[in-house]
Amino acid sequence: METLMRIKELHTRFHTQDGTVNAVNGISYTMQAGEVLGVVGESGCGKSVHALSILRLIQIPPGEIDAREVWFNGKDLLKLNDKEIRQVRGREIAMVFQDPMSSLNPVYTVGFQISEALMLHKGMNKTQARERALELLNLVGIPEASKRLDNYPHQFSGGMRQRAMIAMALSCEPKLLIADEPTTALDVTIQAQIIELVMRLQEELGMAVMWITHDLGIMAEMAQNINVMYAGFIIERGNVHEIYHQTRHPYTLGLLGSLPRIDEAPGTKLISIPGLPPDLIGLPVGCPFYARCAFRVERCLSERPQLEEAGSPGHTVACWRWKEIDAEALRKAAGGAQ
Amino acid sequence: MSTQLPELEVLTEYAVREHRSLWLDAWRRLKSSPTAMLGLVVVAIFLLSAVSAHFFWKYDPRTDLDYSSKLLAPNLISTAEKPVIHIFGTDKLGRDIFTRVVHGGWNSLRVGLVAVGISLTVGCLLGLFAGFFESFDMNFKEKLALMGALGLAIGLLPAWIARQWFQTLIFGALGVVSVFLEKKLARVRMRPVLFAAAGALLGGLSGLLVAPLVGLVCAFVGLLIGWLLNKPVNGKTFSSITMRLMDVLLSFPSYLLAIAIVAFLGPGLEKGMIAIGVVGIPVYARLARSAVLSVSQKEYVLASQSVGEGHGRILFKHVMPNILSPIIVQATMGLASAILSAAALGFLGLGAIPPEPEWGAMLGDSYKYLSSGAWWAVLFPGLAIVFSVLGFNLLGDGLRDALDPKMRAK
Repeated sequence: METLMRIKELHTRFHTQDGTVNAVNGISYTMQAGEVLGVVGESGCGKSVHALSILRLIQIPPGEIDAREVWFNGKDLLKLNDKEIRQVRGREIAMVFQDPMSSLNPVYTVGFQISEALMLHKGMNKTQARERALELLNLVGIPEASKRLDNYPHQFSGGMRQRAMIAMALSCEPKLLIADEPTTALDVTIQAQIIELVMRLQEELGMAVMWITHDLGIMAEMAQNINVMYAGFIIERGNVHEIYHQTRHPYTLGLLGSLPRIDEAPGTKLISIPGLPPDLIGLPVGCPFYARCAFRVERCLSERPQLEEAGSPGHTVACWRWKEIDAEALRKAAGGAQ
Repeated sequence: MSTQLPELEVLTEYAVREHRSLWLDAWRRLKSSPTAMLGLVVVAIFLLSAVSAHFFWKYDPRTDLDYSSKLLAPNLISTAEKPVIHIFGTDKLGRDIFTRVVHGGWNSLRVGLVAVGISLTVGCLLGLFAGFFESFDMNFKEKLALMGALGLAIGLLPAWIARQWFQTLIFGALGVVSVFLEKKLARVRMRPVLFAAAGALLGGLSGLLVAPLVGLVCAFVGLLIGWLLNKPVNGKTFSSITMRLMDVLLSFPSYLLAIAIVAFLGPGLEKGMIAIGVVGIPVYARLARSAVLSVSQKEYVLASQSVGEGHGRILFKHVMPNILSPIIVQATMGLASAILSAAALGFLGLGAIPPEPEWGAMLGDSYKYLSSGAWWAVLFPGLAIVFSVLGFNLLGDGLRDALDPKMRAK
């Protein structure tokens, strides 16, 4: 497999009146072509900001993006000029946003909005773009697509809008689709449909997908690799099996513990992680998770753990005590205590 | 289970709603409001009479006077005493008031359209750019355009002093140069001094061509301009400068400002239009900016950015159509207030120059005769003002309701 994207030490900061908000703090990872990567973490941990930073959709100032490199398909995205980065947006990396209600422009028909990117990037004329838009609407499973093409967004339901957004994102056959919590605003049945749709399209078109979510349950069946983010750091990264079964970071453990499981004994209490994420202005010197961690020791307060390989190649974790954390044993202990 | 299939088909048929455009929808709601329709009818009558009078009814105010029939009361039928019918009566010069009211409508319409046109275009563009560049960074080309324009604009001052119009070009170029050198001179502490010196030199040398004193003055003004232009402004600064300027304009009572501008430009209907137009600019600028600010935060703007669209496309294709409805409403209301302002200027003798027919001027001409019983000379032009203003206001109110997206479901 060839490398599609390589991020090295990506920092995103926002300079505000109250101080500098460190939204993303030096994250590094690579994505292969055709890979499905899950990015999980709770609200405000820098998931979306890091995705927007890749496309340089952060407003500068107050924002500031700084990285050793954000290499994508042969070029460093941070070194491109205005025109070149616009060529990447939509054509090579496309994005689907969280709120389908507001991500379509209310004054244009859905068909027009889908064909716009085609006319922009592929140089199609109106009729060609319209035909392609029709194909795309069919592809994402909108019934009676030829009639729907001339509908305005307010005539679409939430799920249909999200499908239309996906059609728009796929219009130029991007190599990477960034899905920023695309199902959060939808109900569970529609959520399942959208996930199924994206997975089917991913297989058909062979593109890579970065799926940003706070729902670990979804990721288990979709993703190959998972980045767990906390306070702008990647604190654990591995494949699905490693993250779910050989969990090494207390935070990931907490996230998993707060998910209801179908195989647990009735009456088992869900574990919630106490406290809130740290203030991103003036991060602690030590581990950002220190204040909420059940495994903390003195060292965590003074030294920030770096990502290191844990157990198997490709599974990395940023915790001083990962060796002592054995997910299976802990789970059994929790089950036994009931 | 096979019985379910046809039912499902029916359901999808039902779900596809008939295609209706925004404007058609708005028109339907406008029709259902009686007051808005009343406004529309009044406005239509006003427009029709004004336009047809101008094009099909020849009237020369300079030759229209007849002392033998001055201040005649309205008469609807021709009698032996009053052979000519004047349904609105005549004024102090014996002119038929009906004719003048109808022709005055054309003048009011002109004032309204031109004044609103000025304030709408200038105000909206300023507001659009100000709001947009508060949320988006300016790129190099946009900075070039902005600094060039800024240089040209402030360059007008020394150019006017020296009566050398090429000076604006010099300072426009200085603004452009400042963008080009921004990165190179970013670390240079002396940059303001450098630019001030360059400005003084450029202004002074070109001023010397006229006279030594002019050269001195221009050098001083150029010094200030160079200092101002030394660092290219970014979007936020541009926005705050523009909006503070608008605040300054707004802080004057609008009639006073209009009178001041007319006093500067000299009386006349055209000058009045400019004055009223300038006074109206801040309203549109503020309205447009606030609307742009809220629309820019919408996800569809981010989405259009993420498919690789440029600033121009985003601003004019995605942001502007979404702020149109408040602007349309404001423009309709603005027509009413422009007509009113024009009448006020006319009444004070600062607008239309007599004998040009203009409602405000007609009032100003005739109110002295009210005490001698000539009520018709003021009543009819007054009513014309009231009805046209009322018509535009009712229509504007109706439009506001009709264009409100929250009402769309109906």
